[in-house]
Amino acid sequence: MAACCHLPQHKRSVEDLFQEEGANFSADVAARLGIEQVPIQNGDASETASNMAVAAGREALQRAKIDPMQVDVVVEYSIMPQEYLVPVWNMSNKVQAETGASKSFVVGFSGGGSSNFMVALSSAAAMLSENDSMKTALLVTGDTTIPGNRVLNPSDPVTVMGDGASAVVLQRDAPAGIVIDTELWSDGDNHDICYVPGGSLIHPDDISLYRMQLDKVRYDAFPKAETLRRMSNKLLERAGVKFSDVAWVLCSNVSAQDEAAIQQAFEGKVSPVCASNRESHGHLQGTDFPLNYLSLIESGSTKQGDYVLGISHGMGATAAVSLLRC
Amino acid sequence: MNANIGILEANYYLPQTKKTLSQVFEDEEKPTEAFAAGVDFEKDIGIEALHVAKNERAADLCINAAKLTMAKSGIDPQEIDLIIDFTSIPEDYVAPTWSAAGQVQQAIGATRAFTTAVNTGGCASYQTTLKVACSLMSANDRYNTALLVAGDKTPEFNHNYFPITVVSDGGSAVILKKNMTTRRILGVEVATLGKLHDMWVIPGIHNRKPEDIGGKYPRWLHVCGDIQRFNKELIPINLFMFRKVMLGVLKQVGKKMEDVSFFVYPTFSAWDLKAFCEAFRVPPEKLSRDNLHHGHLQETDMVVGYVDALAAGRIKDGDLVMLATNGAGFSWGASLVQH
Repeated sequence: MAACCHLPQHKRSVEDLFQEEGANFSADVAARLGIEQVPIQNGDASETASNMAVAAGREALQRAKIDPMQVDVVVEYSIMPQEYLVPVWNMSNKVQAETGASKSFVVGFSGGGSSNFMVALSSAAAMLSENDSMKTALLVTGDTTIPGNRVLNPSDPVTVMGDGASAVVLQRDAPAGIVIDTELWSDGDNHDICYVPGGSLIHPDDISLYRMQLDKVRYDAFPKAETLRRMSNKLLERAGVKFSDVAWVLCSNVSAQDEAAIQQAFEGKVSPVCASNRESHGHLQGTDFPLNYLSLIESGSTKQGDYVLGISHGMGATAAVSLLRC
Repeated sequence: MNANIGILEANYYLPQTKKTLSQVFEDEEKPTEAFAAGVDFEKDIGIEALHVAKNERAADLCINAAKLTMAKSGIDPQEIDLIIDFTSIPEDYVAPTWSAAGQVQQAIGATRAFTTAVNTGGCASYQTTLKVACSLMSANDRYNTALLVAGDKTPEFNHNYFPITVVSDGGSAVILKKNMTTRRILGVEVATLGKLHDMWVIPGIHNRKPEDIGGKYPRWLHVCGDIQRFNKELIPINLFMFRKVMLGVLKQVGKKMEDVSFFVYPTFSAWDLKAFCEAFRVPPEKLSRDNLHHGHLQETDMVVGYVDALAAGRIKDGDLVMLATNGAGFSWGASLVQH
């Protein structure tokens, strides 16, 4: 597994964004969020979601020393609305064309929140292991937040969202960075816990509803950390790995409050890189995991053979846990 | 791939209300571009009326299809391990943040299932989803039963997909199961030409033009095709790409074109069906074409063509069935089902 992130150079402070979006910023909110600034696209064409995804895809392939023509499938895991309406349009097609992965076919996934990355990982791993003709997958996303919608649930903020893209190259029989298994879980009762209602079939005209909305009551009620720990135990048991053998846990960079609950449930194994990336980047949707994974590897705090758990509660609709071996 | 994954059941749901094609053409905007195929789009299409969902939402179409299919199969919703939504046009809420898969899970009580949606391939999302679902089931002992669902509802005045087809509203569902001895999915092949990504799009509310606000049509939710590029870049390679994926899947499983007993192909138009038959020397009796009277149903065409052919006795025990389609993006897909 080789990964790359492509983030805008420009950053905005969370305090500024709160002011701009009319949300109240207090010491309590700042402490709960634990986010200082987020990367934001500067309006240049090079920083559209799909162009950042193309850049991330190219860089990931270069790092992996993979010829684009070797890519068998491009798997897309974005969460935010794209340049045109999905599913008629999907940036994976553009990524396929502009990275030169012209022998590949494309697939994208909807509806999993940040867990979309693990859905993509699990699906790509399955395709590579079960189809003799497939050896290489390029996983890619680019997410840009809807303008004026960076503070999620402004009346009681849950996170602050930044812009960014990432890509991951998976290869069958890779010597390191092995994807061992993924556990996925969904709660259909929460299908609309976090969604964009405006500009859809139900609200075609209402631009004021064209923003990501969160049902905070249901979000709070969902046992996020407990669900993830239970799923991790199940996954580890299946893989024959003890929790004590897990070196690090990587979570999504939602908030300090969210991470504290996960840290407790995972017995202090959440890597410090998560807090560091959260402070400096905020929540980057599916890019959180590749960003944290890269930081973990670059930090030198892992050695070959270490087990790493990647976890995401997907805001309560889809939870996911992936087990990797460095 | 595990060769014992098969289609346990499949079914579709179409809204009862129908709208004549002449009414559709009267109500909707007239295309201004020329179509290169040398046919009269309105007169020669071979579709007379469309199914139109009135008060039903797109997710209702999914759910109704899922419930019909579940009932027909007789399986307990608790057996479902995976639910994958393969709808290929915008749904009730904006994707990729949302998909109908979770709502289907809730509605049918498949509480053990993991849900997701495949949002690529256009009408070929059926094949892309088959590829993903079969791979996941094959790779994981815990995934034994999958429910694939789709529900398409177009905006009221966007049934005319000139120059390709006219579209109905409807939903479909397919239940895949391991350890099947018949209706086994032998292989799936998908190919993508990503350079055509922006030839067929729906702009979205963030791209709407000021002059469209408050107008008769929410044009930002209507499909926009670049007809010149369609004529120049898609039509010339379309049959080549079909040949590529069909030969690809046949090669995967060691079969030949002459081994195929029946073809399920989308009901875009009468001239498109004719072109397919001529190009691949498929006699009309070996092709799903009865469902042309439903209108084109996006990715659901694959399910309708298959289910209707089964019901009519046109697919028999021992038959090898090829399902082939293409869709926005653009992707082409072919799968082989052994009866």
